[in-house]
Amino acid sequence: MASRVSLKSKGKSSVGKVSKGMDDKSTTQCLKEWSNWALKKAKVITHYGFIPLVIIIGMNSEPKPQLYQLLAPV
Amino acid sequence: MAGMVPPGTAVLGEASAAASAKNINEVGKKVDYMNLPCPIPYEELHREALMSLKPEFFEGMRFDFTKGLNQKFSLSHSVFMGPMELPSQSAETIKIPTAHYEFGANFIDPKLMLFGRVLTDGRLNARVKCDLTEDLTLKANAQLTNEPHMSHAMFNFDYKGKDYRTQLQLGNGALFGASYIQSVTPHLSLGGEVFWAGQHRKSGLGYAVRYETDKMVATGQVASTGMVALSYVQKVSEKVSLATDFMYNYMSRDVTASVGYDYILRQARLRGKIDSNGCAAAFLEERLNMGLNFILSAELDHKKKDYKFGFGLTVG
Repeated sequence: MASRVSLKSKGKSSVGKVSKGMDDKSTTQCLKEWSNWALKKAKVITHYGFIPLVIIIGMNSEPKPQLYQLLAPV
Repeated sequence: MAGMVPPGTAVLGEASAAASAKNINEVGKKVDYMNLPCPIPYEELHREALMSLKPEFFEGMRFDFTKGLNQKFSLSHSVFMGPMELPSQSAETIKIPTAHYEFGANFIDPKLMLFGRVLTDGRLNARVKCDLTEDLTLKANAQLTNEPHMSHAMFNFDYKGKDYRTQLQLGNGALFGASYIQSVTPHLSLGGEVFWAGQHRKSGLGYAVRYETDKMVATGQVASTGMVALSYVQKVSEKVSLATDFMYNYMSRDVTASVGYDYILRQARLRGKIDSNGCAAAFLEERLNMGLNFILSAELDHKKKDYKFGFGLTVG
């Protein structure tokens, strides 16, 4: 029990994964940590992937534009 | 029965019948509360006043090039060179000369709209608007930066009813907001909003009223954060609109009033305003050719002794 408590307290200070406990306190904690991690990953994905996503959706819309039109200035 | 009535009274009777029929028609038009028009969204309450009094003033040089690849998809390249103002607490304005290039991609569909802009320093400005069903719309707005804790995102769910609109807002930093606006008569709509900001531990309530006819729009908004905002826009003719705006904060006793005009001409659009803070500003957009627009912006702040002039060109 003592080792589990100390593991939990380490988990509270670090942002990484936490060992799943048996009682309610650590499931909500776990949920918070996972949702934080998911939000951080979602932010990075959106930051790098939003403009490529728009370009992919646009290049696949009708009438399909050609690739050179994407890069050429005119 | 009609034959028994003498002819003189018959004519009078017809006239009065016609007059009362007209009255009933007018009253009938007024009383048609079941068919009121849908009001404008709550955040666009001051739309006309904002369009006339707050164009995007800038300082420096701006060049925007939009290239359409097809009807729905377009890319944009934008260059800006000029001093950027840093928000400072003191009375002095601090300006830093910057230059940046912004690349953007837009996809506009009746059901889905994607708008993305990325700057050379890595900042992304993204907007998404998606019609999930006929009446429900999802809007998302995000400003993402590489610096930690400086990114913002906001999600809105809008539901459009027959003569009302509701909106639910969720933002990062535990920001929750909800608003409701309802058409009460064909010209008048009333609305209210409530928001809660978890990070700053603030919550607020606000009410809004909007009265519009073909010729004028008058709006008023009160919020428990201490803000009172009134605006009035009069459409003097097809080409000319005059607008006035009054903002008062009863907590900090801050008052700003401004008066402006908006001339929409065939080849140009000129907007000018003067403020009670001693700030006079003007914004001109002139159409030189098909797709080529020349922009001039001037903002003279006599109180702070800050004079800003900008020019630019927009292609496409």
